[in-house]
Amino acid sequence: MIGSIRSVLVANRGEIVVRVCRTLASLGLRSIAVYAPDDAGAPHVLAADLAVAVDGYLDTVSIVASAKAAGADAVHPGYGFLSEDATFARAVIDAGLIWVGPPPEAIEAMADKIRAKRIVAAAGVPVVPGAGRPGMDDDALAAASLELGLPVLLKPAAGGGGKGMRRVTAAEDLLLQIAAARREAEGAFGDGTLLAERWVERPRHVEVQVFADALGTVVHLGERECSLQRRHQKIVEESPSPFLDDATRAAMTESAVDVARACGYVGAGTVEFVVAGDRPDEYFFLEMNTRLQVEHPVTEAVTGIDLVEWQLRVAAGEPLPLGRRAVAPGGHAVEARVYAEDPLRGFLPASGTVLLLDEPTARPGVRVDSALAHGATVGTRYDPMLAKVIASGCTRTEALDRLRAALEHMTVLGVTTNVGYLTRLLAHPDVVSGRLDTGLVDRTLGELAAPDDLDSRDAAVAATCRLAAGLEPAGGAVDPWDAVDGWSVAGPRAWSAAFRLGGRAISVTVRGSLRDGATVHVDCGPPLLVRAAPLTPLEVSGAPRAGQASRAPLRAGASAASQAPESSQAGLSCLSVTIDGTSAVWRTATDGDGIWVGRRGDAWRFAPDRTARGERVGTGDARGPVTSPMPGVVVAVHVSVGEAVRAGQPLVAVEAMKMEHAVVALADGVVTELLVHPGQPVRLDELLAVVEPDAGDEKVVGDEGGA
Amino acid sequence: MAQVARVPLSLPLPLLRSTVDPTSEAFAQNDARHRELVANLRARLDQVAQGGPPSARRRHVERGKLLPRDRLAHLVDPGSPFLELSPLAATGCYEDEAPAAGIICGVGRVAGRECVVVVNDPTVKGGTYYPLTVKKHLRAQEVALANHLPCIYLVDSGGAYLPHQDEVFPDREHFGRIFYNQATMSEKGIAQIAAVLGSCTAGGAYVPAMSDEAIIVRNQGTIFLGGPPLVKAATGEVVSAEELGGGELHARRSGVTDHLADDDHHALTMVREIVSTLAPRAPRPWDVEVTEEPAVDPAQLYGVVPADLRTPYDVHEVISRLVDGSRFLEFKAEYGPTLVCGFARIFGHPVGVVANNGILFSESAQKGAHFIELCDRRRVPLLFLQNVSGFMVGPHYEAGGIAKHGAKMVTAVACARVPKLTVVIGGSFGAGNYSMCGRAYGPRFLWMWPNARISVMGGEQAASVLATVRRDQIEARGESWSAEEEEAFKAPLRAQYEEQGNPYYSTARIWDDGVIDPLDTRRVVGLGLSVAANAPLDDVGYGVFRM
Repeated sequence: MIGSIRSVLVANRGEIVVRVCRTLASLGLRSIAVYAPDDAGAPHVLAADLAVAVDGYLDTVSIVASAKAAGADAVHPGYGFLSEDATFARAVIDAGLIWVGPPPEAIEAMADKIRAKRIVAAAGVPVVPGAGRPGMDDDALAAASLELGLPVLLKPAAGGGGKGMRRVTAAEDLLLQIAAARREAEGAFGDGTLLAERWVERPRHVEVQVFADALGTVVHLGERECSLQRRHQKIVEESPSPFLDDATRAAMTESAVDVARACGYVGAGTVEFVVAGDRPDEYFFLEMNTRLQVEHPVTEAVTGIDLVEWQLRVAAGEPLPLGRRAVAPGGHAVEARVYAEDPLRGFLPASGTVLLLDEPTARPGVRVDSALAHGATVGTRYDPMLAKVIASGCTRTEALDRLRAALEHMTVLGVTTNVGYLTRLLAHPDVVSGRLDTGLVDRTLGELAAPDDLDSRDAAVAATCRLAAGLEPAGGAVDPWDAVDGWSVAGPRAWSAAFRLGGRAISVTVRGSLRDGATVHVDCGPPLLVRAAPLTPLEVSGAPRAGQASRAPLRAGASAASQAPESSQAGLSCLSVTIDGTSAVWRTATDGDGIWVGRRGDAWRFAPDRTARGERVGTGDARGPVTSPMPGVVVAVHVSVGEAVRAGQPLVAVEAMKMEHAVVALADGVVTELLVHPGQPVRLDELLAVVEPDAGDEKVVGDEGGA
Repeated sequence: MAQVARVPLSLPLPLLRSTVDPTSEAFAQNDARHRELVANLRARLDQVAQGGPPSARRRHVERGKLLPRDRLAHLVDPGSPFLELSPLAATGCYEDEAPAAGIICGVGRVAGRECVVVVNDPTVKGGTYYPLTVKKHLRAQEVALANHLPCIYLVDSGGAYLPHQDEVFPDREHFGRIFYNQATMSEKGIAQIAAVLGSCTAGGAYVPAMSDEAIIVRNQGTIFLGGPPLVKAATGEVVSAEELGGGELHARRSGVTDHLADDDHHALTMVREIVSTLAPRAPRPWDVEVTEEPAVDPAQLYGVVPADLRTPYDVHEVISRLVDGSRFLEFKAEYGPTLVCGFARIFGHPVGVVANNGILFSESAQKGAHFIELCDRRRVPLLFLQNVSGFMVGPHYEAGGIAKHGAKMVTAVACARVPKLTVVIGGSFGAGNYSMCGRAYGPRFLWMWPNARISVMGGEQAASVLATVRRDQIEARGESWSAEEEEAFKAPLRAQYEEQGNPYYSTARIWDDGVIDPLDTRRVVGLGLSVAANAPLDDVGYGVFRM
């Protein structure tokens, strides 16, 4: 019991609930989870001692009522959702519960970016030059932006987490981008007010963890650098920053403490700064996040402090337990966020069912905060972050090496993730040497998004081995007809597997028995001598966790988790594939007709090439189809049937994960079909519209042409 | 299609051991000779796999069609075995213009189901039917019927080869028999599926029309009783092939076909889809146990079998390299030892092995008849390993009733209802061929090794017999016949027997189902046993045994 807290409801989902529950368990406190109807049986539900059904994670009324009904003493909001909602904080407090977070007034003061900057500037902390106030219309904001000087960064006044932020470099794009940013801001936060800020060149994102208790003590717990971002969302964070000199660090942490004091802060908070890459001594206040951050584990790793425990003690009215642990940072820690997203599609969100999962737990210096589980369904309704892997070491190099090695030992099959991409990003010379900035990810995406071609070739071979092994009956061939070696009286007949990997057709030709050694060609490549053998994984972390099935029915309204993953061929989940004498272990799984193979963090899904098999998909003439680049909801339709469009012109806007993506015409032509309307949910690759290209004009732009 | 492998509750059969010295010179010589023979076989098979002349193949591919063997590859399951029937048919016939007799036949696995597949090769004289093409097609249907396998026809043929019409059209086992078989096979529940991938003219039109389901490729397949030239001659109407009998016509108007495909790939996928809708195969008539590789190294087969048929050797050396675990329970080992009989398993299937180990005597024939009856009663398929120069001759043996004892074995072989598989591993001469289940005795399959010979008697014996008759005639006239004259008389006879007794002469005429690499024997027999297990067994019944 901490103060009067015995039982805590965690008003969130995903890995943060699992993480908070871990501290609650370590302190002997009871944990209560909430779950939306589509999350019954989700890992965060299973992590808590008790779980209560609610209508949604933003449903203040039912969450507070559930907390009361379940006997909670306190409510921990996690991050995202209601964590920075002062109304919710007040509702919790008004219900007689303890709010594990800052005072509602502090939340409000920092939530309004415009007001926050005023308060911070008044406290003598430097802020980025900017413009924007409530009620400012698009034209006025555009004019103000031009006055600041392009490029500018548009951001929702009510926003956070990078959602709805847009960088505008060209004056002619300003109005369109402002309109889109406003739509997104309204959709995400219910408030279309926008801010425009001067864009800082080669900006580095450095933030300071602060902690304050109700007795007036405010401390900082060092800084974190979060400069590796995509779409303004962090993907890799570390502490300490490899960039700051001691003087700047001292000044910046001092400023952070000043900001916390200026808004009467209590609890865990983060003060974010931006530093120009060429001016390490000059920093600007960006915003203050009045919650526990996603990346808090790196601070925990270098300070040895359990920040959730501190939150609970502060919420219970206790003083910061400074005497219990030294606050002096030591060593280095790096965190990488695992997202359900496809780096090859510009980080578009991915969905699916986890068919196989290996997490790099039990490695020295490595921590995994995860809400992934075998059989878990990843949809597009929630944030695509699935897990975090945190590595620490005596030096930055050691921490980075450990993190990369840990990610190379992580396998997620069934849902496309960024794990393989992260391993390559972490090995990039600029990351290794600490030359970071928030544009680095976008600049290097072209070279880092895809696995090495040789790895993809080997993956195609592994997928073929999985296909062949799947054709053989379990326990070795009984009937000679079951052999998969293409036997004939004239010697082995070659057979081939035709796959599609993304948009590419791959053909793998095999002659001989893959069990005993076969000659394999990938497309028209040189012959490879391949041998494959199923292995029994020493550690079957992909198997359903014991007790999961028996616990799930205890939850009211919870049905058995999700679609049952393959069990009959679980013995093929691990294949040893030897190519020209070099053996590697591949994890494999199948989903209906697709074959997933994974190795060193990367995962590939090989779908059967239906055209090569003579199957016909769809009907009629499919010239000029425009398809959805991701699962989501149509939020705007910019054109009508019969309209002439230019290549690159936005046709439809699709929103997923609160991000709006413009779907553009791939060629000049005329819209002949329009199959969607605003509000309509669409699947990945669903046909949205058909543009009949102009005759003879084959000008084509890439997928991302207008996004 | 995993079957439940039963853990054997029965005692393991006794182990055979090899007494051959693999380091001996004879072993090395045998091995070298067999390698030569197999290299020759492979070269012939590779040649035939090319199909028709390059110009015809190029034209075919340019039309967007798959070559016949590519059609086959797309039809069967990836990596699955293919048990081709008589791939070297028509070798040396028709001036070698018809490789494989212009048709590819065999047993292949389609959508998890073993099926007989019949593929016309339109690069060989437009896929027309030579006499041996007809024979090969009929043999494939026979295999489907005997083993209850679905039968798939990939049709691309101009019909009968007109220059040979007298040998193709009128007789009982000629072109018309194909459609007779289709009807009677269908009556017996054999599913038949046709994909029309090219021409299907005149009588050939009945192939799809008499199938359960038929597919036609649009703008490529045609079906008509009389082609455009015939129509013009008969009625004066000018009509294109596509209008007369193309895919659109048959799929939309005539109803001769059931499915319209866009191309070869599409049609072959449709065939696979149709096969996956067939009723399940019948349960196997016997138990299948877990497979065990032979304990004695099968790769030594080349070295243990003398290439020269006259050199005796112990057939146990062959059996031990073919059967599961080299385990063999021999029957009457001490009685009539020139015929080795015993129980074993191959790929888990039970098998009664009947193997020659010398000339057949009365005792061996009686033992063989007894053993065949045992296998028949016990539902154990029979495997005949033929290496027989014949029954013993001479007054002592005739007086001993060798004719009636041989007759018993022939009766037993003819009447046994269990599947019989025959491999000619050496000589197949005279009445030995009959009692060891030659082609006339309806084995489900019959294969030959490249070193095998088949004729009514050996060339030397035949030449001697004929020379003796000749000498008797000459000397009866009071004339004389010099040794040189006799040799001049015998040499062409020996040459004729050598040519006609050659396994390639046999396989060209479809006296067998193919010449196989001896090292493939275990695999081929295993595939054959698995295929044979598709058909239910008849009741046991025998003719009169002369006692």
